[in-house]
Amino acid sequence: MALFARKDQIPIPPKNAEKYTTVCQYCNVGCGYDVYVWPVGKDGGPKPNENALGIDFTKQQQALVGQSIIENMHSVIIKNGKPHHVLIIPSKDSPINRGNYSIRGGTNAQTTYSPTKPTRARLHHPMIRVGDEFMPVSWDEAIDLIARVVKGVKDTYGPDSIAMKIHDHGGSGSGFEDNWAVGKFFFVAVGTRMLSIHNRPAYNSEVWGQRERGVHELNYTYEDARLADTIVLWGANSFETATVFYTEHMLANFQGATVEEKKKEFLKGEPIEPTRMIIIDPRRTASVTVAEAIDKSRVLHLRPNLGTDYVLANAIARAVWEKGWHDEKFIKERTDLKTFEDYKKKSLMLDVPYDEFMRRVEKLTGVSRADIEKAAEWIAKPKAGGFRRRTLIIYEKGVIWNYKNYDTIAAIAQLAALTGNYGKPGTGCGRQGGHQEGYVRPHSKSRAKLVGSIYAGGPPPNVDEYVKNDLRAKVYFVSGTDPYLSTPNAQEYKKRVHERTFALTKYLSEYAGFAGEPAGSEERAKRILEGLAKTDGLFLVVINMYETEIGRDAHVILPAAGWGETPTTYINCNSRLLRIADQFMDPPGDAKPDWWIWGRIATRMKELYEAEGNFEEAKYCSGMDWKTAEEVFLDGASEFPDNRVPEEDEALLPAECYKGVTYEYLRKVGQKGIQVPVRIDPKTGQLVGTKRRYVHKFGTPDGKFKWYGTDPWDPDPMKFYPPQITKYFKDGNDKKFPFWFTNGRTQIIWQTGYHDRYLPEKVYSLPLPYIEINPVDAEKLGIKSGDLVEVYNLEGNVVALAIVNDAPPPGMVFGLMYRWKESLNHLTTSYTDPKTTIPWYKASRVGIRKLKGSLESVLKYTSLLPNNDFT
Amino acid sequence: MKKQRSKCGISLDRRDFLKLSGATTFLVGASAGKARAFYAPSLPYKRVKVANIKDLKEDQPVLFNYPDESSPAILVKLGKEAIGGVGPQRDIVAFSALCTHQGCPVSYEKKRFICRCHYSMFDPAKNGQTYQGHASQWLPQIILRFEPTTGDIYAEGIEGLIWGRAKNIIK
Repeated sequence: MALFARKDQIPIPPKNAEKYTTVCQYCNVGCGYDVYVWPVGKDGGPKPNENALGIDFTKQQQALVGQSIIENMHSVIIKNGKPHHVLIIPSKDSPINRGNYSIRGGTNAQTTYSPTKPTRARLHHPMIRVGDEFMPVSWDEAIDLIARVVKGVKDTYGPDSIAMKIHDHGGSGSGFEDNWAVGKFFFVAVGTRMLSIHNRPAYNSEVWGQRERGVHELNYTYEDARLADTIVLWGANSFETATVFYTEHMLANFQGATVEEKKKEFLKGEPIEPTRMIIIDPRRTASVTVAEAIDKSRVLHLRPNLGTDYVLANAIARAVWEKGWHDEKFIKERTDLKTFEDYKKKSLMLDVPYDEFMRRVEKLTGVSRADIEKAAEWIAKPKAGGFRRRTLIIYEKGVIWNYKNYDTIAAIAQLAALTGNYGKPGTGCGRQGGHQEGYVRPHSKSRAKLVGSIYAGGPPPNVDEYVKNDLRAKVYFVSGTDPYLSTPNAQEYKKRVHERTFALTKYLSEYAGFAGEPAGSEERAKRILEGLAKTDGLFLVVINMYETEIGRDAHVILPAAGWGETPTTYINCNSRLLRIADQFMDPPGDAKPDWWIWGRIATRMKELYEAEGNFEEAKYCSGMDWKTAEEVFLDGASEFPDNRVPEEDEALLPAECYKGVTYEYLRKVGQKGIQVPVRIDPKTGQLVGTKRRYVHKFGTPDGKFKWYGTDPWDPDPMKFYPPQITKYFKDGNDKKFPFWFTNGRTQIIWQTGYHDRYLPEKVYSLPLPYIEINPVDAEKLGIKSGDLVEVYNLEGNVVALAIVNDAPPPGMVFGLMYRWKESLNHLTTSYTDPKTTIPWYKASRVGIRKLKGSLESVLKYTSLLPNNDFT
Repeated sequence: MKKQRSKCGISLDRRDFLKLSGATTFLVGASAGKARAFYAPSLPYKRVKVANIKDLKEDQPVLFNYPDESSPAILVKLGKEAIGGVGPQRDIVAFSALCTHQGCPVSYEKKRFICRCHYSMFDPAKNGQTYQGHASQWLPQIILRFEPTTGDIYAEGIEGLIWGRAKNIIK
């Protein structure tokens, strides 16, 4: 009857079960989890004194108060050669989730490696491509081959011939340790500029528009979501992408459950008003409709035309200014008044009369003046008694991956400054985050000059374009990401990368005309270097936990350890809370942590340079022969400046500064963690975290917020949008591609579903990628939920399941950005912001064709109910 | 490859079946001294009459407790064939009424179950599938038996762990 085997009992950990602290491997929220491991056959009993949890399992637990323990939180692993139970449950001790958890994190235990479960698909051994298949080799062989090719290419063509696309984040087993190691390898040992970050074509911050104002994007703390008078979600569907943060904290505030906390933090006599939410998103997302189901009168939903958010942010700011609701005291004391003039002229456009300004804004953005003014009121109109309204603005990919990335982020960051919403309880303006963070890289020792935005020596090179089209690119590393799914304009990208990698594969197999390929890493490396000289080939090294789509074109595949298989450390986004995600089991087969892999390649290069007497180059490859994860963590801390500074100087510390923190400390504080940047108190010598940033000053030399005047704009779409979009408005393309297309996530899976694809629930719920289409458009095209459609444009095409609901407005379709093997990034354009090289994933134009027939199993097993109706 | 049909109705090839068997051998409770496969139904569920078909109306849920008084459940006639549905139309299903996320009560509205603590939603026609929200675990479905002669509907077991328990039968 059931679609897959279910359980009706799970084993209970005994009192002497091993217990570990960990943090969820998935999203930005960083829920705390407790891990219990014990040998099979040694279960605890149901009475509180018979088990490690102290729970009375002879009784039904009480909702919300009780500990959630569900089927998915248990698995059986092999540890020390013996079967062990593992139970991974949401921690009641974590201030972040307090026992709450998401549909993703609830399955953490299912992702543990087991030879008898679907996770047996994990990569077990290093593999090299021989002919048209992959064959296992030892680490020594694989490392020697890579080191020889990298060294040979670097010596012949220079360091920029080595390109990479690498994870840069926390979670998924990759925290500060892996990020430091990969940084040291590419910045120092190799010294290439051709770097790109896992989800985009260049090596850049997604939010230079805020950072260059003197504000790091992670500046608030989760408590601010409990204290705010108004919460703004801008391009952030937090119910689905920061699930527990939304329900545990934002909703608690919205439902009035945090009044007592407000009484403690608010000023004397300050009113506590019913909390409001402003959500800016073209779709009626679940984040909108959940809040509306609670109290529609306190929810404002603005639906700007795609790409017009920076104009909308400036328009709200202008309305604030016109009404006199800006925070004059804050502007005068905390911000730079010289650059403020530029902001007033270019962003607020004070030279244009208000009525005329608003007419233009309405035309371009599609948002009414009344709604813009209402947003201004909810964000900034002082409360009774003249108290400043406390507004927390949280933004994410909807605006990051938008048209004019730099200006959009700057406009939102400046709206917060204009209204005095930094550094006080219940305020802040920053990212929601996608994944967690663990960024530490040796910028001070980098041999390549890494650049910032166009205002800081940039923009950085587009490495996607480089590996596609520039034959100087010879070696390409891809680690912890699958750009065949995730990069913009993916259809063209994979075609080109395939052509280039295949050119080398072909050359290798044509060795001596008909014989086999060269044997042994030395001979093979020689032949590869020869092939790279004679063809337009590209040598591709893929490092991952599983086989990936891009892996099919690799020449070497290296198996990486995952979450729980090495100790690692990272911070969450809503509070910058640093904790340890400890090791509780071993990696599968011969898989190794990323830091170990990078260290080994560098060390082998060092030996090769030493052997030829090049001690200068050898020096740059040294110091990476780490033995433990903590050695890497402590090595990374060397990059941070002296943090023995007073509280007000936290503004000048790198956001993720953890200098002084050790694994011992993190294991001691457990789920409590410590909020970065960490200081060493000059008086006491104790480690101190930073709860909320920029209370005293901003991160600029004079401590003042720096303003910026955004680009001029024209209300005519033909003149407003870039050529990548306006090409769809002309030459008959407006008829062929009548819909706007935007994309995003579902909370059911994490990223490409690299783990989720092995879980039965996810496979049934998400059998193929889907699009959402408004009932008005669906009726015109004769499409109903469950139909298969082809979505196409001048960039590429995809097949998707149609879901008819009112989330997208008429004239716009939404697509899941990618699933495990299919990518809707086939439809995204190659536009990047000329100021930052950040792509605009969130808009293109498409046509839709209904395909014949349907998939019977999908209609039978997959729910097609509207996922944004909570009434 | 020879296909075997497992108890839960999923067809497995022989290789997968052997691996599954391998997994269950790990779940040997030393204390019990014999193999304990936890795949549902693995416990001695009582057969309990929960409704008669003549009292059922489409979309009007019937509340009952199963397998004991502290475990609320909901039976509903959906009007359309459902996975695990019984009755002439195979449209009568029943589920645990405790949200698998944190144990709050779910209610049946608009052809679905919704939990108003954190807004998880489950599709009763599709095996209690979480199609939106936090709940990692689909809603446990109650195995029903329909007696055509009397019209009585019985609960006979549960597929899936009831929230707040380590075992569906606690006494």
